[in-house]
This record gives sequence, structure tokens and C-alpha cells, in this order.
Amino acid sequence: MNDDDIRAEVRGWLAENYDPALDRAEWRRRVFEAGWTVPSWEPQWWGRGLTDTQSRIVAAEFAAVGAPGSGYDRADMMACTLHDLGTDEQKHRLIPPSIRGETRWCLLYSEPGAGSDLAGLRTRADRDGDDWIINGQKVWTSFAKTADYGLLVARTDWDVPKHKGISFFIFPMRQPGVEVRPIHQITGESEFNEVFITDARVPHANLVGEAGGGWGVLQLALAYERRLMGDLARTARSSRDLKPDADSLIGMARAAGVLADSSIRQEIARADAYAAVNRWNTQRAKTTTDRTEAATLMALGKIAMSRILHETARVQTGIVGSESMLTGAENPIGDAVTFRTLNAYFTSIGGGTDQIQRNIVGERILGLPKEPEPYRDSAFRDLPH
Amino acid sequence: MSAVTSVLTEEQSDLRDAVANLLAKRSPEAQVRRLMSEDTGHDPGLWAELGAMGLLGLIIPTEFGGAGAGATDLAVVAEQMGRVLMCGPYLSTAVLTPYLLLASGDTAECAEVLPRIAAGELIATVAFAETGSARPPVHPATTASADGDSWVLTGEKTFVLDAYTAERFYVTAQHSSGTAIFAVERSTPGLSIAPLTAVDQTRKIGQLTLSTTAARLIGRVGSGQSALETALDNAAVALIAEQAGGAMHAMQMATDYARVRHQFGRAIGSFQAIKHMCVDMLLEAQSAYSAARHVAAAFDAGEPDRVADLALAQAYCSDAFVFVAATNIQAHGGIGFTWEHPAHLYLRRARADAQIFGDPAWHRERYVRLKEENS
Repeated sequence: MNDDDIRAEVRGWLAENYDPALDRAEWRRRVFEAGWTVPSWEPQWWGRGLTDTQSRIVAAEFAAVGAPGSGYDRADMMACTLHDLGTDEQKHRLIPPSIRGETRWCLLYSEPGAGSDLAGLRTRADRDGDDWIINGQKVWTSFAKTADYGLLVARTDWDVPKHKGISFFIFPMRQPGVEVRPIHQITGESEFNEVFITDARVPHANLVGEAGGGWGVLQLALAYERRLMGDLARTARSSRDLKPDADSLIGMARAAGVLADSSIRQEIARADAYAAVNRWNTQRAKTTTDRTEAATLMALGKIAMSRILHETARVQTGIVGSESMLTGAENPIGDAVTFRTLNAYFTSIGGGTDQIQRNIVGERILGLPKEPEPYRDSAFRDLPH
Repeated sequence: MSAVTSVLTEEQSDLRDAVANLLAKRSPEAQVRRLMSEDTGHDPGLWAELGAMGLLGLIIPTEFGGAGAGATDLAVVAEQMGRVLMCGPYLSTAVLTPYLLLASGDTAECAEVLPRIAAGELIATVAFAETGSARPPVHPATTASADGDSWVLTGEKTFVLDAYTAERFYVTAQHSSGTAIFAVERSTPGLSIAPLTAVDQTRKIGQLTLSTTAARLIGRVGSGQSALETALDNAAVALIAEQAGGAMHAMQMATDYARVRHQFGRAIGSFQAIKHMCVDMLLEAQSAYSAARHVAAAFDAGEPDRVADLALAQAYCSDAFVFVAATNIQAHGGIGFTWEHPAHLYLRRARADAQIFGDPAWHRERYVRLKEENS
């Protein structure tokens, strides 16, 4: 079947079956039964064996009529990871409820002491019969309060080098010993949480891959996360923070009565140019047939976006001037400028800092050598911290 | 947002490879340095090969003996020329002059001159700038007066590309009823030509002094300014592509050096201080490249926003090339401070490129002005 056939089929199916008035769980069950939940997976695993592109077409058709339930083969990190690396038992037990939207997951990766150096994590998992006992602290977890499971990386072996002693678990969140506290961010918002874990349990049956093989599982989960972030960036609708409108700086300067100021005009053009070249880079990445060229441009995208956000906020600060000292509902412009100034760090720190991203680009794209790692072969317990 | 695509066709990829191969043979560093030391900076052998490949008539319409190629083809060629700092009157003769004559609407002049340019038989340039700015003045101080059926010009022109090699000059001058373009032959009495002592010796510039110098009117009086502006915009597509190519090469030089140069027992590229500089160079060079390609595609497609896009891109590519060329020197350390190392040649070219068709601040102001008018 070609892409057009798929589009026609899903469109027809939606026209016949979708009714916004339908009970949500019932609708999810129908989507699941029809194989539209994870269209790119094999029929044996609840899919339709479609290509990646076709799966996106299906998700787009669902989105076009406002129907939920598709696209889990791209958006459900827990299901994707288990689909690739879980046992058959784990797949049957954990995937269907997740892709029907009956259970929710969150990510338990970063720790206060393991940010850029994630492999330095110190949350411990100790075997106790059929369970593992978990102790430690995780951070930057979205949706921790509503999650049924956490994708957890914890240290199970302290006597091997840091990457080799980590295991990956599907950790039940709703149990004693799991405490979730919201993080109060510099913007005043709270999107993330800290998760404190004290003597909580996860069954051995929820270990994904081998004990000590968690770093490899994590790399796959992170690759799915990056793919999802790429999807979201492509389809972002709330563009306020991601893609500053090219004309907005001029409009803002006009409204503030400073559009005649030649230094402001220069700054506006400079900031607009950062946004424009980033669009042109993205466009080139999408159209080129050269994989290296596309990978190079995509890898630079995060650094470029950080600069756009920080520089745009800086120019906006120059435009509004003294009002940037004020905040609150009675000072909406100053408030927005400060919000953007502070929220720019969401991009330049979140998902790996710009400095780590420069290491990655330098090493993977430019082929520059890595920093020497003096503790490469040392047991984790011997590392200074 | 523009829907134009910047992906190359197979023919364009072949063109890029052919130009790259030719320049690798004909414009290595030693040859660039030899031409730098001469007043003309022109290699007739290379010129003949460019002509044989159809590159001198690349953007000249087929009816005038050229290949009738578009802006993207030109950008592809210019990128390669920028990478190697190719010396010679390409930008003046094969790009700016044809675009000016085509914009002038003077079909007779096009028919006489463009086939000769395409065949490599004529070096010509455009003299538009006057003291104080590399952009054309709104009202040139150089004056034109009618002398019966013919014209005479008086004034000074500066920053003239390839003034020392050109056999014919297209000069802008002011008449009481408007600005116009005039052709002046090299040998005309009353014309004196002097080279300027330039920072970038890979691109020659000079000065003209006209003292009641006989000239021929091209097109009509009053249309000179807009024809020139169109020509400069079209030619800027090539200039920014050269800048992008030069930036790519300078970035590559730094990265290659960072992989092989060892200090403290490590390749210096393993130090984050150097690694991050290289990535910043990569971002600027790649962004300049995308900008140059985008603008070329926008000109090919006749996009309504193409001039605003060009203004942003020209400011960006100028700054990007200067940044990358300067950072390349820093990444090289001591060796980068020596005349024998080519790093400084790229900074010299970058600094001149950032002025020759107007400086970055001028282009940024132009962008804001265009956007203001449209909102």
C-alpha cells in the first residue's frame, strides 16, 4: 500500500468510526483494536506494519479531525523502549494499557548530582528476592504526580566503571516511599518535579534488558525522546517561545515609540537574522539528500535556538527599557519580556546544556577528539565526588 | 514564509564539482599569492578555462551568447571561488556588468558586449562608489553633460573592482534630469586610473578620475540608479555565496588543525576551549551557507520578500565570514599570526567583502526599512 492508500483508508475509517461524543476509553479501545495506535509496529504487536512516514500520515489524519489515540509509536517512550528491548511478558503486560492511555509514565533520569554527566547517577537499586529496593533522588521530572510508572535508571553495581553498573527499570510510582515535590522555576512556573525515593520497590520482572545493561537501554529511550522533540518542534503551534515572529520586534519597537532609534533598528535586524538563518538551515536540512549535511544542521539547531531566544529577549529588553524592571498583570509587556529572558534558559540548559551540545557537535560532527577520561576504567565507587 | 527549495539539481552538483576541480588545479594557494603580488591580479590562463567551461557567460542570457543560468547556479559557482579566494575579475566582469546591462534595458549594448564577455574577450567593470561609502551615492557628485550627440563626464569614482584590468568602465553620473550609466573606454583621454592600496590583495580595487572624459550613454537618463540597484542586488547573490564558501573553508582549516596539533600531550581539539570555538565557527559557516542558498533560490523564484531576505543575509554573511576568519587565526595560535600561513588571507577577504557592496549596518537598516514599509 502506498502513502495515498493509507491516507484514504485512515480517513475513511475515521469518518466511519469517530464520534467526539463517544466515551474516551471506548474510543481508545477501538483505535487500539484497529491497529491505529501504533501503526508502524508489527501486527503481532498491535500495529499495522506501516512505514515511519505512513505512521506520521495516520497521526496527522487523527489530528486533523481532533481524534486522540494515534501516534503512540512516536510519543510513548515507555512503549517504544519496551517494544524494542522488553521481554514478551513485559510487552504484553505493560504496553497495551500504556498505548490505550490507561497508564501514564514519567522519566526518572537526572539527579541533583548527575546532570550533564548522567552516567554519574547515584540512585541505588539493591536486589531483595524478586524485587529491587530503590533509594535516591531524581529531578526535572514532568508529570511525576500523575504517572503510574517511571522509566528509572539506577546503579546496581558500584564495582565496575560508571556506564557499566546502571540498570533500567519500569518503576511503579504509586507506592509508599515515593515523594513528589514541585520545583519552583526562575520564571515562577512549576513544570517539573523532584522525586524522592526511599526504600521503594520495583519487581525484578520490570528490569528492562540485563542488570548492568541500563546505559544501552537509556540510549535507545533517549533517541526516541530526541525524535519526539524533533516532531514537536516541527509541529509546534504555540509559537510564542519557539519561533519569535519575524515582525514582532518591529511591531514592539513601534508600539514603544523607539522604532526611529538607529541602534534599536540594528539590534532588531540582528535578532531577526538569527531567526531567519535558523529557518533557512532547517529548510536545507529537510530538503537535502545528503545525510551528513542534514545531521550537521539538525545538531546545530539547539544551539541556534538558544541564541535566538536569548538574543530576542535581550533586544526586547532594550526596546521596552525601564518597563523591564516591572512585572505582574499590571505590567504585561515588562512581564512578558522578563518571562522570555528567563525562560530562554529552558532551551539553553534543558535537554543538555548548550556547552554539552557543543561537545557533542564537536566530537560527532567535526570529528574532534574527546576529552581524556582519567576514570574510564575505574570502579564507580572509587570516583571522587 | 518562503516555500522555495535550496536543494541542488544533479546538474548543479556536477557544476559545483567541475568548478571545484578546476580551481584546485588552477587556483592553489601559491597561485593566489602570486596574483596578490601583482597589480592586475588576473590570470589569463584561468580566465580562458572559465570561458571554455561556460562560466564567464553563466548568467548571460542565451540570446547574448551565455548559458542563461539562474541565481542558484551562480551561487554554486561563487561558493567554490570563495573557498579558494580565487583572484580575477569574475565578480565585476561576469556578474555585476552583465546584470547592470540587462537592467539598463540597453539591448544594443547587451548585444555588443555580453557575447564578448561570455567569450572571455572583454574585461569590464562598474564604477559607482564615491569617496566615503562603498554604496552608490543617491546623487553622484560625478557629473554628466551633453556635448552634442555625445557626453562627457567629470568626477571621481572609487572602490572600483578590477579597475586596473578593465578595458571598459560603466560609470554612474548625475545629469540635471537624473542619474545615468555611461560607458567609458580605458584609453579615453581624460581618464586616469590608479590602484588602491587594499587590505585584501586577492580582490583588486582602484580609483578613476574623469576630467571631461568622453562617454556613451547606456539606457536612458533617469534610470541609472534603479538599474544599478537591481544589478547590485543580483550580484550580491554571488558575493554572499563567496562569503559562505570562504567561511566554510576557514572553519575547515581550524577544525583540521585542531585534530592534528598537539599540546600538553593532546590534540588541541580535545580541549573544550578550542572545540567550542570550532562548533561556533561551524554554526556561522553553515548558517551563511544556508542564507546564501536561500537567497539565490528566492531570486530564482522571484519571491516578493527576496530583497529583505537578501538584506538580512548580506549582513549575516558578512559578519559570519569575518567571525570565522578571525576565529580561525585564534585557533591556529602562533602559526596563524604569520604572513606565510593562509589564515590571514581569509580575514582580509572577509573584511573587504563586508564593505564592498555596503557594510552590515547598511544592510540591516535596509532590512528594517523594507519591513516597516510592508507592515
